Amino acid sequence: MLGKTDKSAIGFVVAALVFFFIGGVLTTVVPPLIDKSWSKPFENDDASKGPTGKLRPYTELELKGRAVYVREGCWYCHTQQTRTLLADTKRSGWKGVDSPISTPDEFVYDTPHMFGTKRTGPDLSRVGGKYDTQWHRTHFRNPRDLVKGSVMPPFPWIVDNPDEFTALVAYIQTLGRAKNWRPDNDYEK
Amino acid sequence: MATVVQPGSTGKVGESQRHTESIYQDTTAKWFLLSSIAYFFVVGIIALTIAAKFVWPELLGTIQYLTYGRLRPLHVNGMLFGWLLPADMGLAYYVVPRLCGVKLWSEKLGVATALLWNFIVLGAVVTLPMGLNKGWEYGELPLPLTLLVVVAWVMFGVNIFATIANRRYPQMYVSLWYVMGCILWTTFVYPTGNIAVYFTTGTNQANLNWMYVHNAVGLIFTPIGLAMAYYFIPKASGAPLFSHKLSMVGFWSLAFVYVWTGAHHMLHGPISQWLQTIAITFSVMLLIPVWTVVYNFFATMKGQWHQLGDNVPLKFTMSGVVFYLLTCFQGPMHSLRSVNAIVSKTDWIPGHAHMALLGCFSFFAIAGVYYAIPRMFHTTLHSDALANWTFWFFMIGGLGFFVTLWLGGFWQGWQWNNPSIPFIDTVVALKPVWTVRFFSGVLMFLGITTFLYNMLATVLSGSKTETVKAAA
Repeated sequence: MLGKTDKSAIGFVVAALVFFFIGGVLTTVVPPLIDKSWSKPFENDDASKGPTGKLRPYTELELKGRAVYVREGCWYCHTQQTRTLLADTKRSGWKGVDSPISTPDEFVYDTPHMFGTKRTGPDLSRVGGKYDTQWHRTHFRNPRDLVKGSVMPPFPWIVDNPDEFTALVAYIQTLGRAKNWRPDNDYEK
Repeated sequence: MATVVQPGSTGKVGESQRHTESIYQDTTAKWFLLSSIAYFFVVGIIALTIAAKFVWPELLGTIQYLTYGRLRPLHVNGMLFGWLLPADMGLAYYVVPRLCGVKLWSEKLGVATALLWNFIVLGAVVTLPMGLNKGWEYGELPLPLTLLVVVAWVMFGVNIFATIANRRYPQMYVSLWYVMGCILWTTFVYPTGNIAVYFTTGTNQANLNWMYVHNAVGLIFTPIGLAMAYYFIPKASGAPLFSHKLSMVGFWSLAFVYVWTGAHHMLHGPISQWLQTIAITFSVMLLIPVWTVVYNFFATMKGQWHQLGDNVPLKFTMSGVVFYLLTCFQGPMHSLRSVNAIVSKTDWIPGHAHMALLGCFSFFAIAGVYYAIPRMFHTTLHSDALANWTFWFFMIGGLGFFVTLWLGGFWQGWQWNNPSIPFIDTVVALKPVWTVRFFSGVLMFLGITTFLYNMLATVLSGSKTETVKAAA
């Protein structure tokens, strides 16, 4: 059958698209229909089933901060996924408590998604609530003042713009907070 | 099979091609190739800048338009859509009419496509440093530019398909299938990652995004790159392709297998395990199309290897084939869960990605440009010695880049898997690696510079010859 496709352009086009669409449809259209956790926001009040908590939509301020995060390309160097690897749960953990792994239902309100592919800096999927506003202000102005050896760029134009800075920090503090997993819920306590 | 259309054969078809060489105008091809080489140079400067920022993080640090997060998308989009894709498109405008034995369907439409494409690339150069970033990898271009890419792509497709519909030789050589496959698949792959993503969120959106990212390489750059290798290896060596049948196995297995693998970008991540397993299975199956294609190229070179010494296009294509074999061995291997747990998200990944797009597909494109430009301008290459320098700059710079990032990435991955090592220590440990990467980048940039100079000098001497002819 395929032997004829090098003489008939129409036969070729049909075969090339059929081959492509089998895999294309089965791996992009079908999975969200099968796996509901991709679209249902996280909610759990039964501690025996794992961490409790509820995913809430972003506020307007947080969305504005998220837009800054997207604009500055933070996602080129910071992933937002605690993978099913022991080391990831330790590294995303806090003060001796391991972080729960990231699940699809924690990201239902994310667009554009910020999972990332490269970790030049640490993963941020559970960073919310770990560092206070003053820490972030100093760190964004010059990361090397707080973390010696860091290669993160300085972001003075964000710190000098109170609207953007407040929004960005508000967004960062939401990261990974849908699941209640730390004994101390916040840096304030 | 004796009558198969062969670019390198000395049969009847080859002769009639020679007689009709004068019918090819190549105006569109010239536009695309020359602008893509210019962007290669400009974006090369951006590439060096962001590599330098890893070594000197304060460099240009307080200027928001030149910060890493704004320049990296310009580097990636500039290389993909400013250099590599238009270079391959330009070569397609050169190759397709010759394989069909007819003129390009419409040079006017072609030149309009080239102008639109230049507008898109210049638009990206302005908007990305401003921070107008959609937030999807490879899909950063602002929406109006994205839509123009779709329009330009349709213009390209119409021109190529209409040329193929008018062809004089009924049988289509394998390069034509790959160009047609690229056009058809891109028409669906590109909107998936740039437009369909708007209607989804979270994991669902990431799945569409990775389907696009993976197939931007697998179903856009691979088929159009292989189309050029299938044309220029026989052409540059003068040897006919080893097997038409084997090229068919390679093509149809690629068409079927590639699209399933997008989710391997999310291994161990927040996406369904069964989808990860499907992606791994099909990633390993990719060895089939890759090894058939590579075998076909090596077998074509049987008895011709001595030509590598002084044939620069052949040097680039055959090194590109070796890098293709290597990068497509890495791909399936790091889709395995155990390997992925070490290399994923590390500096290994840019090492791997650069070997695919620079080591393999850019090498194919450079070879094609070296072969086609002197012929299009009816002249000879300005300097063979300089072309040789270009090759070695790219080769040594490229290997320095790939090898240090693989070693560094593996080392980084092992450190990450030991959570008692603080994260910042794993950053500091990579600094020597990033320094070597920067200096490898300098070598590659010298390669780009000599390439640009050699091409410009060739084109200028070509236009002089033409003026002399016209005067006589």
